[in-house]
Amino acid sequence: MSRILAIARNTVREVVRERMVLVLALFGIGLVVASQVFSPLAMGEGRKIVTDFGLAGATVLATMLAIFLGSSLLHKELDRRTIYAVMAKPIRRADFLLGKFAGLWATTGLLLTGMTGIVLAIVTVSYHETPWVVLGALVLTLVELAVVTAIVVFFSAFTTPALTAFFTIATVVAGHFAEDLHFFGRSGSAAVAGITEAVYWALPHLSLFNARGLVAHGIAVEPERLAFALAYGALYATAALIAAGAIFERREFR
Amino acid sequence: MKHYRPIANARIGADRRGGLREAEPLAILALDSLTKVYRDPMTLKPFTAVDEVTLALERGEIFGLLGPNGAGKTTTIKMVLGLANPTSGRALLDGRDPRDPEARRRLGYLPENASFYDHLTPTEYLDFVGELFEMESGVRKSRAATLLERLGLAAHAKKPLRKFSKGMTQRLGLAQALLNRPTLLVLDEPMSGLDPIGRAEVKQLLREERAAGTTVLLSSHVLAETEAICDRVGIMKSGRLIEVGSVPGLLSSGVREWEIAVERLPERLAAEFRGEGHRVDAVGSRWIVRVTEGRALQDVLGRLCRDSIFVHAVEPRRQTLEEHFVRALAGDGGAAS
Repeated sequence: MSRILAIARNTVREVVRERMVLVLALFGIGLVVASQVFSPLAMGEGRKIVTDFGLAGATVLATMLAIFLGSSLLHKELDRRTIYAVMAKPIRRADFLLGKFAGLWATTGLLLTGMTGIVLAIVTVSYHETPWVVLGALVLTLVELAVVTAIVVFFSAFTTPALTAFFTIATVVAGHFAEDLHFFGRSGSAAVAGITEAVYWALPHLSLFNARGLVAHGIAVEPERLAFALAYGALYATAALIAAGAIFERREFR
Repeated sequence: MKHYRPIANARIGADRRGGLREAEPLAILALDSLTKVYRDPMTLKPFTAVDEVTLALERGEIFGLLGPNGAGKTTTIKMVLGLANPTSGRALLDGRDPRDPEARRRLGYLPENASFYDHLTPTEYLDFVGELFEMESGVRKSRAATLLERLGLAAHAKKPLRKFSKGMTQRLGLAQALLNRPTLLVLDEPMSGLDPIGRAEVKQLLREERAAGTTVLLSSHVLAETEAICDRVGIMKSGRLIEVGSVPGLLSSGVREWEIAVERLPERLAAEFRGEGHRVDAVGSRWIVRVTEGRALQDVLGRLCRDSIFVHAVEPRRQTLEEHFVRALAGDGGAAS
């Protein structure tokens, strides 16, 4: 466990020292400017717009960061040959991947939490009310980030950074429309229905984690939904990481 | 991961000529018909990078793995570390498969053209490595400080690695390889990027490690350095281990010629010696007579004494490891493994 934590800490340190603070600062400034520009046009809906806009922006930014940092994280280790000295230590390859996953998730999770904190602060200062229901959406998005990060790590275990980014983005986009795909598939032939059924179960059901619209209207996320999403996310991320570990275990370092 | 019984590799060993040796104690590193075949991803044409290499390293020896580029040294090392999987045969670290993480607990490794995390300082990197070995915080900090001092990096302990020169990175590579007090050190081109002082320090460090009982496997292109520190060497060519033996043993065919230095040499004697096939050259204020056979040496010395010519020195010139290496690669005689 301490080895996984060491790899995770190193990954966090790598990202934080290179880009993280800059991204957070830019987001904060961008959000302040945007909320001041759009609020007068919102006809009394300013609080809702800032919350919705802010949370969506934070989610997209954290997801993109997870995909683009994650897709190059392993490749960079191989390219710079830093992985050779590490893998000669008494660490399992699966643990190395798990450490990378944990580090990347922690980093993007911290970023997301920071950005959500900025949204909360802006709403509190501008509208003299703190929308604590946002925290429910934050928890769901953190689980979504874990799923996305696990998918990035899975693809990066066997393919190039460009293909990893492409496959992950495709999976994430399709994952948000998994329910629609399932619905349309059932209206086709038996073969099409069978294929879409299989794809439906393989894709991550990311819409499950989206409660941003709900909390923007001041409605809290139900505990049952939270518990189900947590269990589903944990299961999906674990499966993706086990598959990634099995593939990485066989990988040759040339 | 399989943990092979010690008896399985007790017989794996190589004598001076590379043949198998019986009843060895458990070798710290044993390679048994180790083979690696890669396939071209496009044509699927096979390429044998390492071909049936059999070798056993004794505890406390420094073993040099020599060979030209593409001979299979680095691929062999990668299989020893569990970074590449053998196509057939096996490598054993103290009787264990190197792909078992526990087998690497007392292993130190310096990669070729070593590179470490740019965003860390040497102190942070060594602390990270110590965590991978599950060393206690106090122990790893004190060991890191000792090694940074020993390798001349103490003054740069807080400097980001992105600002390190190649020589400094190489020194850090040695520090991280030594952090866990390894029983087996695997060094891929350890002299690379080091200046003469650095090389001398590394040689001294390796001698100290050997004295402490550490076994060292190193690959190198710098044959003069290798000759000075290695107890045994193995020469690889096209994936095969074509020769294994102690450095004195390999060079025992030894004296190539004797150089006789004299203060003066009468023209008559010089002409006689040249007529008998010996080389005679004026070097500065002295004359050098080179003879290639022991009997001729006695004869020449006798005649010089009879003419009361002062013999300043008689020096045998032995074959260097570099000369032996070139001849071995050109000849590629009896394959050892």
